[in-house]
Amino acid sequence: MSLKSSPPECRPNRRDALAALAIALAALVIALIYYIPAETASLQVSVSVDGRVEEFAPLSRYAGVHTYSHNGYTLTVSCDGATVQVVSANCPGQDCVHTGAVSKAGQSIVCLPARIVIRLSGGAADLTVG
Amino acid sequence: MRRFWAIALSCVLLLLSGCGAAAPEELTLFAMDTYMTLTACGDGAKDALEEAAQRINALEQLFSRTREDSDVSRLNRQGSASLHPETAELLALSLSCAEATGGAFDVTVAPLVSLWNVTGDTPRVPAREEIDALMPLVGVEHLHLDGTSASLDEGCAVDLGGIAKGYASDQVAAIFAARGIRSGAVSLGGNVYVCGTRPDGTPWRVAVQDPQGAGYACILSLQDTFAVTSGAYQRNFTAPDGTVYHHILDPATGAPAQSDLLSVTVLGASGSVADAYSTALFVMGQRQAEAFWRAQGGFSLVLITADGRVRCTPDLSEQLTLSEDTSYVLEVISP
Amino acid sequence: MGRYSVKHLTLWALLAALALGLSTLDGILPLSALLPLPGVKLGLANIVTLFALYVSGAPAALAILTVRCVLGAVFAGNASALLFSLLGGFCAMGAMILARRSGGLSVFGVSLCGAAAHNAGQIAAAMIVLGDTAVVGYLPFLLLLSLVTGSLTGLIVSRLLRAAVYLPLS
Repeated sequence: MSLKSSPPECRPNRRDALAALAIALAALVIALIYYIPAETASLQVSVSVDGRVEEFAPLSRYAGVHTYSHNGYTLTVSCDGATVQVVSANCPGQDCVHTGAVSKAGQSIVCLPARIVIRLSGGAADLTVG
Repeated sequence: MRRFWAIALSCVLLLLSGCGAAAPEELTLFAMDTYMTLTACGDGAKDALEEAAQRINALEQLFSRTREDSDVSRLNRQGSASLHPETAELLALSLSCAEATGGAFDVTVAPLVSLWNVTGDTPRVPAREEIDALMPLVGVEHLHLDGTSASLDEGCAVDLGGIAKGYASDQVAAIFAARGIRSGAVSLGGNVYVCGTRPDGTPWRVAVQDPQGAGYACILSLQDTFAVTSGAYQRNFTAPDGTVYHHILDPATGAPAQSDLLSVTVLGASGSVADAYSTALFVMGQRQAEAFWRAQGGFSLVLITADGRVRCTPDLSEQLTLSEDTSYVLEVISP
Repeated sequence: MGRYSVKHLTLWALLAALALGLSTLDGILPLSALLPLPGVKLGLANIVTLFALYVSGAPAALAILTVRCVLGAVFAGNASALLFSLLGGFCAMGAMILARRSGGLSVFGVSLCGAAAHNAGQIAAAMIVLGDTAVVGYLPFLLLLSLVTGSLTGLIVSRLLRAAVYLPLS
């Protein structure tokens, strides 16, 4: 390959500027992905029924309505991609429904009669006291 | 250009998926009417967790009020009983906590606990007369402990619900220590024990539940500590008239404590004491709780008040971070 | 390529030596003051890679790059340095080959792509060495930095290429 047969373009052109822009944009996108949703991006939902993990998924992919049954009790769980809550249950105490929406790492919704636990992990906290 | 980014991106993704550290051992169980998670890292972690789970189940056999054959049930039914040394030890500890807190923590509230049945299937608001009829049965002077034999005055009963999980966390800590576990975290239905640091050497990050919302109020960086929270939000029921009644009974009134606190988190070197104190300090309310800390010492506090303040003891000010999306104001309790 | 002439072999050997010198210089520069990541370099040796790519084509440039990385690691004496320079170097190389083929880009554009890919490769190496994905957080800063180094490399190589017209290469 000789220099004379294919002389390279040595002057910067408009396409180069586009490449530079693309790189700057990539930097911005990575920064946004990495720094903005630091907590929610890495949150995982795990649903265990009687100690057995039935579901383990990133919070964002868990969005929708799910039902779980055990011990004769059924829980209806809804997730909007950022928070999870038990919307209805036929257990006597209704503690799981009263817990409301959980959205942060270390939090959980527990239904003792049904032995169902919905837990959020990842993000900032390892576990929750209280 | 598009090809370049496609290749670069797939390279990065490939690398991301390729990295991962050794996973810590984890065990979950339902015991003591709650949900427990135990995590431990390092050699022998699995064995340590299994021993801890067995231990917790064994303790439940002794302390449960719902099991007919437990030490506590026998004592309550028969009025006197010869106890397992551990039950006797926990009762003795309960008595000393009752004394230290001036009766704000009291295991003899059992008859009232049964009357309200807040945590049971059929909670109800009893009439004043019903409560008054049981009040004479409450008080640690009705419990007589002599070595491993105990007796109760006529009609009295004990409930270890306010200290048993703390005691269990102490036992888990002892098992971890004996097995050389240097990194672990345990939550026995919200009673937390953290052993050493996280596997990466940084402190464990323990969130304190926001008593008013779904998130958490603050995060504590902790090592080798027990942390227990008591709050009205944890277990309660709504009466037909709309009033919410919670599970922490004030031994002095026989009704759920009217506290100006939303939650009390006690941190210390003993899980049992942290458990008992968190209940007692909730009953006491802010002023008395802070006075108790000044007089007693030896533990740390995070109080969340009804008017939206998070008040911590000075030693915690470096370890505590308020959650970003709450409106709580952080204050340090003056020594 | 066919047969290699002595002239070409000598040029490539010279370029490899130059690249080695530049990457050593790169290691001396106090980039760690800016970025707490040991092993990450500006990518000065990309000047040689880019120049070789234009003057001698992709296979020769690749050979020079490999020699530079292996010898650099031998001199530095550790395996993680090899990983950093290999991943950084080959990502840059691949990006520049593709960018050049895509057409329409000048030396400057090709150099920018190479510099960006170089830093992405280095971050990938850091992830492998540290076993932690958290280092991705540095990538945005490094990409912005690569705009500077890429432009500079492009400027230097464009000057070199103008001068290289007088090299008796064919």
